[in-house]
Amino acid sequence: MSYRVTEENNISTVYLDGEIDMDVTERAKEVIMPLIEAKKEVHLNLKDVQYMDSSGISVLIESHQKATELGTKVTLKEISKSVLKVIMMAKLEQILNLD
Amino acid sequence: MRQSQIINLDEKRDFEVNSSNLKHVRSFCREVFEKLNIKQDLKDELVLAIAEAAQNIVKHAYNNEETEDKMEIKISVSNGQLEIGFFDKGRPVEKDKIRHRKIDDIKPGGLGTFFIQQIMDAVVFKEGEKPWINHLILSKNLNN
Repeated sequence: MSYRVTEENNISTVYLDGEIDMDVTERAKEVIMPLIEAKKEVHLNLKDVQYMDSSGISVLIESHQKATELGTKVTLKEISKSVLKVIMMAKLEQILNLD
Repeated sequence: MRQSQIINLDEKRDFEVNSSNLKHVRSFCREVFEKLNIKQDLKDELVLAIAEAAQNIVKHAYNNEETEDKMEIKISVSNGQLEIGFFDKGRPVEKDKIRHRKIDDIKPGGLGTFFIQQIMDAVVFKEGEKPWINHLILSKNLNN
């Protein structure tokens, strides 16, 4: 997994790239969580994520819950087909903010 | 081409039990499923189910602790019936304790087993024959 972060109008966009599994979830959380804790609105751009397993989905849930707790928001952007399928399999499409 | 024209195969590979090898598990599965005449969506689902089961071995049978042990994954197809065997030497699986979280209980974790059950037709835990401790069998009829 690789990533880059851009900032614009207090929105941090995290572009994730590659495959997100148990091996990289800690690294993903280290990137995303401090942005949420800084109460920024966070966009996770998932267009270049080719694979995500239950560990990756857990990161999405944790991010969403932390943001809600702190009064901010995480939005999933340009979700790749394979990631959307896993989100739907987990029945989270109505829970997470999908755009 | 009808799915019943799927070839028969029998392939197995060993993997060191750690999270950095999960990508190699996926590569192996993708390589094997390339030989089958099944839809890409189904191949992707099967790769997910296998990777989740392998992840459970790393996480639960070995508590994500360092080990020199290897696990073995065996993929067989016979007459359109897919069977995936997982063999490990970790802590014995306590079958009664295996359950996925309730799907309307939104919290991180517990989804892997749910995915496996969604994708596969059957999930069977057996005691492994020596030298193995655990033997998990996932199966699916590819003719459906």
